[in-house]
Amino acid sequence: MKKLTLAAVVIAGLLLALTTLDFPRWGDPQTPASMHVSARFIEKSLEEMATPNIVTAVLGDYRAFDTMLETIVVFTAGLACFFILRTRMTREDLEPAAPENDPLDLAGEDLVIKTVARTFIPLIQLFGLYVLAHGHYSPGGGFQGGVIFAAAYILLAVSHDMKTALRHMSERASHLLSAAGVLLFAGIGVICMTNGVNFLDYGGLAGILGMSLATGHSFAILLIESGVALTVTAALIMIFKLLSSHGTVQEGF
Amino acid sequence: METIAVIFILTGLLFDLGGTIGILRLPDVYTRLHMAGKLDTLGSLCLLLGLAVVNAIPLGTAELFVSGKILLILILVFITSPTATHAMVDAGIKAGLTPWRKGDMRR
Repeated sequence: MKKLTLAAVVIAGLLLALTTLDFPRWGDPQTPASMHVSARFIEKSLEEMATPNIVTAVLGDYRAFDTMLETIVVFTAGLACFFILRTRMTREDLEPAAPENDPLDLAGEDLVIKTVARTFIPLIQLFGLYVLAHGHYSPGGGFQGGVIFAAAYILLAVSHDMKTALRHMSERASHLLSAAGVLLFAGIGVICMTNGVNFLDYGGLAGILGMSLATGHSFAILLIESGVALTVTAALIMIFKLLSSHGTVQEGF
Repeated sequence: METIAVIFILTGLLFDLGGTIGILRLPDVYTRLHMAGKLDTLGSLCLLLGLAVVNAIPLGTAELFVSGKILLILILVFITSPTATHAMVDAGIKAGLTPWRKGDMRR
């Protein structure tokens, strides 16, 4: 049976390797990927959008609408988890006789883990801010920074306990923040519309604030990335709280 | 300089190989964690040191900055890897997993 499985895996791998022969040559200008809009992005993104990082220019300026709806997808995922998992029951309803000295009670009572977590959480948050703010010039951006922030919070929750984590960010706060990120993103678009340009065309924001085009674009991209980061952080924290506590958001599971 | 870097990298690869063999051969969770924690930490340290030395060969300011960042990563690994091992062993003990003794089955 093991040999049969190995043979099946080897044959599948060979088939996959064979299909790579159908790929276009590296850098072939006739491929669909490099025919339609890529050339314009590469040639004109700096003068049109004044953004050094082409990936950020495409995601934040040319396709800002798409990015906004991706943020709303993350927000909706958090909301769906909340509506499906959250119960009004408490821990006592689910476990009628919760023993005091449960050997499976893995609440963080460990000095080493607590100390290391307390040492590293500020550094992780600082790195998340760096990734968020440097998405304009280097790899990074709102989604990545938000995930790093959420990872710092989850480290706090698993190294201490749910009560400490809720004291640092309550359930209501995470809901409000996840909605506020989407509101910030869409609000930037509406503010641009008030100057008579299209939704999410940051030239309008530059006109309102009296900045140059490059400053306006970088400011607007920083704002929308902050909105994305807020939503991603809060939605991930929400999902973590619900999944780790059977929907009761209480300690003891 | 290059010979120093090569010696560091080869040492790191040797330690990592030992850690991998230990994870595959040993019988239960605690012994496997013992191998993984110690040897992988030391292997990563040697590899990163070798990379830092390779980076610092031209001795310019930018290269030294990059090597400094690699040394910071090294400090991070040096602190977090043993902590992760400690946390896993702690969880195993709290969950009531008994250590392996001579004559037991592999787990």
